[in-house]
Amino acid sequence: MRGYTPPPMQPKPSRAELDQIAEHYELGSEGVDTMLELAEARPDAETTRDFLAGMLRIGGILSLAAGVVFFVAANWSDIEVFGRFGLLEILLVACGVLALVKPPPAFAGRAALFLAFVTTGALLALFGQTYQTGADIHELFLSWALLGLPITILAGWSVSSAAWLLVLNLALALFCGWHPTGGLLWAMLGWRRFDPTTIIIGVTWINVVLWFVFEFVKLEAVPEWVRRIGISSAFAFGTWAGVLAVVDKGESPLILPALVAAMAVVLAYALRTRKDIYPIAVVLGAFIIVSLVWLGKVTRFKDEGVLLLLAVWLIGTSTIAGRILAHTARRWRAAGAA
Amino acid sequence: MSAPTSLENLVDTLRVRGVIAADAPPSPEESVHRPWFVAMMLGLAGWFAGIFLLAFIGLTFELRSGVAIFVIGIALLASAWALYYTDRQAVFLDQLALALSIAGQCAVAWYFLGDVESGLIVSATLLVLQLIVLFVMPNKTARTLAALFATIAWVYLVRFVVRGGEFDDMFDDFGRYNRHAGSGSVLIAWLLTWVPMLFAAGWLTQRENTWMAHDLRVFARPILTGLLLGLSLGGLASEPFVKLAFGMDSVGVQMSWLALFPLLSIALAMFSAWCAFQLRSHGLLGFAVFAALMHLSRFYYLYGTSLMWKSVIMLCLGALMLGVGVVIRKRLSYGGSAA
Repeated sequence: MRGYTPPPMQPKPSRAELDQIAEHYELGSEGVDTMLELAEARPDAETTRDFLAGMLRIGGILSLAAGVVFFVAANWSDIEVFGRFGLLEILLVACGVLALVKPPPAFAGRAALFLAFVTTGALLALFGQTYQTGADIHELFLSWALLGLPITILAGWSVSSAAWLLVLNLALALFCGWHPTGGLLWAMLGWRRFDPTTIIIGVTWINVVLWFVFEFVKLEAVPEWVRRIGISSAFAFGTWAGVLAVVDKGESPLILPALVAAMAVVLAYALRTRKDIYPIAVVLGAFIIVSLVWLGKVTRFKDEGVLLLLAVWLIGTSTIAGRILAHTARRWRAAGAA
Repeated sequence: MSAPTSLENLVDTLRVRGVIAADAPPSPEESVHRPWFVAMMLGLAGWFAGIFLLAFIGLTFELRSGVAIFVIGIALLASAWALYYTDRQAVFLDQLALALSIAGQCAVAWYFLGDVESGLIVSATLLVLQLIVLFVMPNKTARTLAALFATIAWVYLVRFVVRGGEFDDMFDDFGRYNRHAGSGSVLIAWLLTWVPMLFAAGWLTQRENTWMAHDLRVFARPILTGLLLGLSLGGLASEPFVKLAFGMDSVGVQMSWLALFPLLSIALAMFSAWCAFQLRSHGLLGFAVFAALMHLSRFYYLYGTSLMWKSVIMLCLGALMLGVGVVIRKRLSYGGSAA
């Protein structure tokens, strides 16, 4: 696939390693200069200008998008309802036209489609604000994610993909956390077998499946950093479900097995592909938190000794996790260099 | 020329270039590389373990005497230092040492600040404590955390020097702001806080080759990392009031034009992103972008300036940034085709 982000296990020396070499060989500033140049550790003038241009262009688009959202939220009474809808719809059409004239991967096309995605959300918000539809906020975000999906696909841009993923997960988080019953989704899912914890672990699996899809399909629009947002979201929900299950708020006995299964498949895949240790770190982080809560639960905080136990557990598990991750990263980097 | 693909290759190339003597010893076998997210996980775990440890010690030994708390704190810090010192090339005891260090710092701070209400004394004491940890603890993670906390303590120190206030105002001083609204002092405090920090971060970033060649690198790297983290996030504490003001919390809060201050915090975060790019640090870059987006969310919720004005500001800023970015990119493309 064109432009697919290479695995981050590129065996380029890190800053810590460069410091280590400078110290070990007692390099002078000229030696350090040469080392930094050889390691491509400092960007040249052109790369720097390229970064500056990228930062300003993306920052500009995000600012414009924020301006649109603020405008809708301002609910300006000087413009009639028809005018407010008209303005947003004109903007949406203009974005569409620009994307047709300068289609992605041209920046103008991508930026126009990103703005179209944000404008779609703003239109939905304006609709809810104007007609008081009674829709919950998670329904707004979920509708936004669903309606914005085709636009995101057309944009084929990592920034749009990340925004879509965040909107989707925000919708799911609001659904799981803010509004445990009621609304259209709960009418479908809120029957006996689907208590909140079950829904949360379900959301974990939705994110895990999405992550696997992106891993296998290898889209230019979903590079490594976006996939990392996906796997982080998955185990943020997983940790939430695990903690609830441990403190007895989950009614289903399948929560912890489902979480362990999610951890196992992600670990197995990461270890097999040997590309990135980030998913392993996320899984281990989730394990440390859930196991810590479990330990507090089973000991029932009978006395102050439990605090020492928790401290030792945290130190032990994080040390082991750190060693596993650092060792794995070094091994994979060495293998990549060979 | 493509970059050497491993530490060994880099050392070999340096040997060929004559930077390293031909008969110099081989490169260090044990790499110290630790990805940013691993360092973050270890730092957080060590911090919480330290809190648990201190709570255990406090409850078990029923520490009521200030001197006893101080002695325990110093003992914990000394143990942490000893563990770091004896285990300098490994990571196994680092976590225990970090937890001991955090617990010790909290105990010592408790001794000095238990009954203190002055925000100035609290922030000055914490700044001194963090600077001592920064220069004494022989460990990069401990130094980086100390540099970050020292930056935050500095922000509060300037705030309290210029504007006064008590310890409680550190987390929510909106009530105080209402009583002492004054834009001049806010602006002076902001400039006094950040101009030296911006200069320090910029200088350390640009002069990396100089300090890397000096023993001071063991302090400079953590200081730079702590500074960049502080620049990304610390703008919040230097704004007119310390208040997150998200969602319903912000309803009814009137803040006048000073509600525009989060834009300056975004600018600080973007400067941090710029430095992170120079250092090729994806972790710091990501953190800066995350912080900038958080400041943008806060900007939305800070009432006082109408949303319509904020919308106009964002649209104008967006157009300006986009225009400049497009011009730079066009010049780059033109230069590339000309070459």
